[in-house]
Amino acid sequence: MSLLSADELVKEFGGLRAIDGLSVSIDTGELVGVIGPNGAGKSTLFNCISGVITPDEGVVTYDGTEVTGDPPEKLARRGLVRTFQSTRELETMTVRDNVRLAAPDQPGEQTLSALLRTDSMQSAERAVRTRTDELLETFELDHLADEYSGNLSGGQRKLLELARALMLDPDLLMLDEPFAGVNPTLTDEIAERIRELNEDGMTVIIIEHELETLTELVDRLIVLQQGRILVDGQPDDVLSDDRVIEAYLGGEV
Amino acid sequence: MSALDRIPTDNGDLALLAGLCCVLLGGLFALTPLRAQLPSAFYVFVEVGILFVIYGLLVLGLDLQYGHTGLVNFGHVAFFAVGAYGTAMLSAQDTFAGIGLGYPWPLALGVGVVAAALVGLGVSVTSIRLRGDFLAIVTLAAAEILHSIFVNFEGVFGGNVGILGVPRPIAALVGDADTRLAATLLVIGGITLVTLAGVTRLTSAPYGRVLRAIRADELVTRSVGKSTVTYKTQAFVYGAALAGLAGGLFALYNGAVAPGFFTIQVTVTVWIGMLLGGAANHRAVLAGLAIIMGLRLISRFALDVTPVSSDVFASIRLVVVGLILVAVIRYRPAGIWGDPQELGVDR
Repeated sequence: MSLLSADELVKEFGGLRAIDGLSVSIDTGELVGVIGPNGAGKSTLFNCISGVITPDEGVVTYDGTEVTGDPPEKLARRGLVRTFQSTRELETMTVRDNVRLAAPDQPGEQTLSALLRTDSMQSAERAVRTRTDELLETFELDHLADEYSGNLSGGQRKLLELARALMLDPDLLMLDEPFAGVNPTLTDEIAERIRELNEDGMTVIIIEHELETLTELVDRLIVLQQGRILVDGQPDDVLSDDRVIEAYLGGEV
Repeated sequence: MSALDRIPTDNGDLALLAGLCCVLLGGLFALTPLRAQLPSAFYVFVEVGILFVIYGLLVLGLDLQYGHTGLVNFGHVAFFAVGAYGTAMLSAQDTFAGIGLGYPWPLALGVGVVAAALVGLGVSVTSIRLRGDFLAIVTLAAAEILHSIFVNFEGVFGGNVGILGVPRPIAALVGDADTRLAATLLVIGGITLVTLAGVTRLTSAPYGRVLRAIRADELVTRSVGKSTVTYKTQAFVYGAALAGLAGGLFALYNGAVAPGFFTIQVTVTVWIGMLLGGAANHRAVLAGLAIIMGLRLISRFALDVTPVSSDVFASIRLVVVGLILVAVIRYRPAGIWGDPQELGVDR
């Protein structure tokens, strides 16, 4: 069953057509990689799907309903959660609060509950704290829990961003370069974690330049070039495709 | 580090208790034959104290907007003025100029608060999506427009004379000046303390976490499912309503309102107090405001012993305030009690 589909998406920035009639469909439970040279439209595709920008043309469908142009907060509440290419931490908040923030359905985020300090808010907050501690432990960030996230290293930020996204318990997780700037050991750990999540039923889409890790990890690889899909298929087939080699290495083979 | 840090931080419950006690004690002075006697040298302290607790409501509202949510509001005085004019026009009897409807003061105060909140909502709906510095320009402009309306629509707002004949509930109950001042300080101070308790609860709850996340990075906050526009609007409207409450209380204490009370000077004082104390920390912003307003006291006394005229002295005071602000920004950019990491400033 198709969980997410984009149909004939177009997005232009000035005269530049970043996405040019792109159609793609992702099924529930898939683990998909998206690659392509710089400027191929990978991040723009993510931004169009997650509502950060609105596509000029085309339709995005998520979980059976059209969501084109829906704001990111609405999509996040429906289980479509993304991370950002350049990590965006809430640097002025602690690691703990970064993760706690993402908790869905916290009644204490309403004025009245917060003012009256209701029981429902307090019991929800207890659950949020337990879950946060679990996630921080899983990602080995527990010793940094009270650190301001602005003090974290690049790799730790990637982990924190992943932990924060998982706090929402997403159905579809979209990761924009989760391995960028991360050392090889940590890369393997993150990849392992992603695989586990996928095995537990989460649909995952990953943009990545780190081809080796990605091809081992994913079931399906999509190659973008100049805003269009160049090749879409099994990782091994895709990587041996002449067009892909040409796009990546820029020459005849 | 300071006395402030030794006060227990139990999410503002202490402030709630103290606030209710103050209101009760103030009520006791107002309603019973109990009388207070103040040494005459104390008058000036109590008068500045009353102004301080009124401005305290302003700074708490501003801190909710800027300190926690990151909304730059350079027109805070506008909401103060709307609350004051709303309350005054509804309750004034026999005003010399402008409109005075003579309704009971509690109703008028309520209307003043709602009016300020509505003006805040109006500014929010049109401008809250703007990036920080643009919101600053819009709020500054809105305040100037409102100021100019209050001055120029003489038939409605009484022009430069303003609205006179506003009822003074505490003065009506208490005859002698000493008790009246004490009761006023206690009642309004109590209201400020209760407000402190309220905003502390709000910001220490998950609600405050969302506000601080918006200040840090709005797109991230949206991408984890929070409707940031709603939260920004709420924070702005709550701040405006608090300013409206401050204005209404000011009108009912002062017995009159006029444009001269609502100049940009008010916004500046409140902003400097907030930055001096340390934004995003409720008690710190109140302490910072106390320092700035304390300067007024010192300058009143110092005026008598310095050989300059009062005009020159007023200018000197402004210079001193400016120097303090420069020193704070240079040496403690997060304010005296502010947390540089939480505010994201480099030291």
